[in-house]
Parts: sequence; structure tokens; C-alpha cells
Amino acid sequence: MQKQEVEKKEITVGAKEGLGAGIVALGVVFLLLPSFSQKIADLDFIQSEAFGILTGAVLVMGFLTAVAGLAVILTKFDDQS
Amino acid sequence: MASSAVAATPKKRSKRIPLTYVVALVPVAVALNIVGGQINTVLKLPTFLDMIGTAVVAIVLGPWWGALVGATTNIVSSFISGPIGLPFAVVNVVGALVWGYTIRWGWGKTFWGFALVNILVAFLCSVTAVPIYVFIFGGATGHFADMMTAAFLAMGQNLIVSVFSSNILVSLADKIISGFVALAIIEALPANLTQGIQLPKSEGIGKIVWIAAGIVVGVAIALIVTALQ
Repeated sequence: MQKQEVEKKEITVGAKEGLGAGIVALGVVFLLLPSFSQKIADLDFIQSEAFGILTGAVLVMGFLTAVAGLAVILTKFDDQS
Repeated sequence: MASSAVAATPKKRSKRIPLTYVVALVPVAVALNIVGGQINTVLKLPTFLDMIGTAVVAIVLGPWWGALVGATTNIVSSFISGPIGLPFAVVNVVGALVWGYTIRWGWGKTFWGFALVNILVAFLCSVTAVPIYVFIFGGATGHFADMMTAAFLAMGQNLIVSVFSSNILVSLADKIISGFVALAIIEALPANLTQGIQLPKSEGIGKIVWIAAGIVVGVAIALIVTALQ
């Protein structure tokens, strides 16, 4: 009886939470890109402008965000408790 | 009879995992990646070593938890060692997704299959990294591979081919080492955490020999890359 109560209290995570965490991480990278693009452009050996760096990074990150969206659509969240 | 049938049925892996495993494993994996990356930078090795934790989490917890580790690694390391690492978060995420999904699809059930998964990770990571190297950094970031890129450029190759050629060699060594070190770490994790993961099966010392052989192959490629300078 006590064991059952302990098992009920245990918080579990599945594919949905994993996907959510991954997308949140992508969002944080997006948030940091503008300021870091300027910092990268300020480096001595970088010839690109901050706008170009930001554009390239957003294009690549946007592709991954689209993949994340596809994963949300295609994943069967049949493991919900 | 019924009880023996139940006993013979392999225990199905629960798709839901306790949150405590995630809370414990993700920060450790991020720390492992950062330490590996720092060691690589300090020793100027012809590898990256910043995806071992990503591989462990992607295989054990799932591809998108691995993506979380990959992105977090590059966010944290960009505050520690400069902003160059942030655009490469996408490479770490791609590695996590490939490791996570291919192992779940059963591609890594044998040691040869697992080695091929690592090679696929290396290829796709290079395909993702090359546009970042070329279009954002102009082909150079101060990594060991830059010397190889310069050598390929001196041979008359164009910038994209030169960057890809140097990056794929370094990435191949790096991902084979990372994948097999991750496999060794996964073997050391508690059995209830790794239960049901479709990884190579081998009895006794066989698995250790295979893991050691994989790491040796990765190191050999890294030494060949160094010798090519």
C-alpha cells in the first residue's frame, strides 16, 4: 500500500516533455543569437557583418525548428500517464 | 505454465521515465560536454569531444532530451569560451537527433551497426557545420581543422570543399570516439535506466573489447589526421 503511494507520487516524463524541452532550448538559442552575432562580428578574424551572421544562423536554426514542428506532428504521444 | 510464459516475456521498456533521471543526467551530460570541449581546446586535439554527453542522453533518454543537452552545452560554453560556439549549437542538436532516432529505430543493435550510426552522425554533423564555417566564419574558427582547410585550399580546392574535407575527417574521428565512450558510459548506468535500449549485446569481456576497438579506431583516425598536416 505504501509502495503504491510512493509510485503514484513519482513524476515521470515522456516524448512530449522531451520535445518541449528541445524546442525550449532552440528558443533560448534564438534569443541569444542577436547579441552573439554582434560579438562574433566584433572578433578580429571575422570578416562578416553582424546582420549576415544573424541571417545565416537564423536560417539554420529555423530549419531545425521546422524539424521540431514535424516531430510534434508525427510523434504519437501514446505514453501519457 | 502461465507464470513461466510471463517470466519468459522480455520486460517492455516503459516509454515514460522518472523526472529525477532527467534532472540528474542532463546537467551531468552538459558538464561532460563542456569539460570534453575544454580539454580538446587546451590540448589542441584534432577532435571536438563536446558531444559525449549529448550521445549518452540522446540514446538513453531520447533524441529531444539530447537536443536539450546539445543546445545547453553550446549556450553555456559560449559564455565561458567566447561567442563562436553558439552558432554550432545546431550541429550538437543534429547529432543528438541522429543518435537518438537511429538507436530507437534499431540501427545500432550490432557493433557494426552502432559504428555506422556514428559515421552517419559524423557525416550529417559535417553537412550542418560546413555552411556555418563558410558563410558565418569565412572558413576558419581557430580549430585544429583550419590547418587542414588551408592545406586543401593550397591544393587548389574551393573553400566549401576544403572546409568539408577537413571537417569530415575530424568529425569522423570525434564521433566514433564519442559514440563508443558514450556506449561505455551507458553500460555503467543503472540497469533500470538502460533497460530496453536497442544497443549492441555481448557477453562478458566481448563488449569491453568492442568498445575499446571502437575508441582505438577513432583515435587512429585522429592520429592519421594529425599526420596529414
